[in-house]
Amino acid sequence: MEVLRNALDFSDFPRVDLCVAALVASFLLIFPLFHFSSFAMATMIQFLMFSLYGMGWNTIGGYGGQVDLGKAQYVGIGAYTTSVMLIRWDVPFWVSMPVGMSFAVLWSFIIGYPLFRLKGHYFAIATIATSLVLKDLFEVWDFVGAARGLEISPIKYHPPDFLRLIFKEDVYYYYVILGFFFLGIFYVNWFRKSRLGFQLRSIKDNEDVARSLGINVHWAKVKTYAIATAFVSLVGSFHACYIKNIEPEDTMSLDISILIALMAMLGGAGSLWGPIIGAGVLIPLKSYLKEWLGAKAGLVGIDLIIYAVIIMLISAVEPRGIWGIVEKARRRRSV
Amino acid sequence: MTLLEVQALTKEFGGLRANCDISFNVHQGEMVGIIGPNGAGKTTLFNCISGLYPVTSGRIIFAGRDITRLKAHEVARLGLARTFQVYAATGDLTVEENVMVGCFLRTRSRSQAMARAKQILYDLKLEDLSHYRVSELPVAAQKRVTMATALGLDPKLLLLDEVAAGLNPNEVEEVMANIKHVHSDLGITVMLIEHVMEMVMKISHRIVVLDYGEKIAEGDPQSIAKDPRVIKAYLGERYVREHGGELSPSS
Repeated sequence: MEVLRNALDFSDFPRVDLCVAALVASFLLIFPLFHFSSFAMATMIQFLMFSLYGMGWNTIGGYGGQVDLGKAQYVGIGAYTTSVMLIRWDVPFWVSMPVGMSFAVLWSFIIGYPLFRLKGHYFAIATIATSLVLKDLFEVWDFVGAARGLEISPIKYHPPDFLRLIFKEDVYYYYVILGFFFLGIFYVNWFRKSRLGFQLRSIKDNEDVARSLGINVHWAKVKTYAIATAFVSLVGSFHACYIKNIEPEDTMSLDISILIALMAMLGGAGSLWGPIIGAGVLIPLKSYLKEWLGAKAGLVGIDLIIYAVIIMLISAVEPRGIWGIVEKARRRRSV
Repeated sequence: MTLLEVQALTKEFGGLRANCDISFNVHQGEMVGIIGPNGAGKTTLFNCISGLYPVTSGRIIFAGRDITRLKAHEVARLGLARTFQVYAATGDLTVEENVMVGCFLRTRSRSQAMARAKQILYDLKLEDLSHYRVSELPVAAQKRVTMATALGLDPKLLLLDEVAAGLNPNEVEEVMANIKHVHSDLGITVMLIEHVMEMVMKISHRIVVLDYGEKIAEGDPQSIAKDPRVIKAYLGERYVREHGGELSPSS
């Protein structure tokens, strides 16, 4: 009961925030009615997916301050579990998704337990390494299609298939991921006020102080890493049904890991709205840059240059991202 | 009843002996001061007792349990809380949220942790500051917040590391009132490292003096103030002259 109340209680935010949030939420709910181009629809789905990735990352990376650059491995675990189970045994999404999540969480404990002995940059590098190793393993594993990957062929099913999440029109995918998006917000809203959330914020600031307040620092990190993983794996499963064609090079690439972290850091790590703002800025930018500069002007790779510039700007100007700038301005006004 | 027993505690960093063969007891309900010049090993002693540093040799017994090899969070759970000398408490949390971090040790429920935090802040007369971020507060207030956070653990023994350092006389009075409240109203045993002699001499029942990592004296404040070794190592002759030590040091 108290958990539910905390998850739904946003009263500690200023009214302006809530008004903006309500506006954005209603826009998201009615967006498909406007009949924008399918390109815009695809961009919106990407935005929602990356918001969720970012929210997951934000639990350990933002509130906990543990920069994790290996989330792609969990995208892969989720996506592959769902694909394999659907293709081989015709298992519906709503079963394979939690199974994938369990695999991902289990793997996150195996990875997280030793990795959290490391700190700072060493931890970040180690997460990259584990993710790349897993990707390489998937590239030679025949059972999951090795480097060719897996393809879900929609002809076998009768869309709209709500059990297997096979649809012809993107609008169905849009509403499914939008549902997860709202659930994600409620979850993180609970998380940031929970005991674990408080413990993590204390750990981020000073681990010795956290220890002497009775917090098992290592275990708190491992647990939160698993939570972040569950988010990412869920979206990975969705990704498999939505894209229908997954291969290690694509689903588990370093780009994805970096994009997930970048999203949350640009928007504002350690704040509820941060990852959503970050995804809202970065995903349209990425899509349209690819479309205009990449496809039309032939400037392939310009998006990577822009990410690099963003990383430099965040670290130089405001480590707390866009949300950090907003809060600073707000506080200056109130003083 | 003995609450804390430190037996022949030694802590070495490489070749450096920060604590050397230190033994003393703290009884239930006592207020024990630890004094000594900078670098005497006072904070190291606290870090060893609270489990942040592994000790080189010796034993620490707390409430009848050997805690020598326990980790810091396990020691805290047994009811041994501490504050830090330099502690910008979690900067982006408010005062109340900081205290809640402590309270969450004993409860999972947010509402219970919050109620307890409010009570502690009220008791320490900090409730006006509840909704400030700790990073926005002056040092004096920050130090009192760290005390409040430690109280959230519901400790049996509270180790205070220089809570009065750098404060003006009025602020020292406030901190002293807080410590007295913790000690007599809440019945918590207190051990404090302090350089502010006016305070430590006034409120401690017993004082342990460290110098170069060794315990050079132990006793009640009056006898410590007259102890020639303590005067030579730490207090200085001026302190004795000004504070009515009628005995002039013999060495």
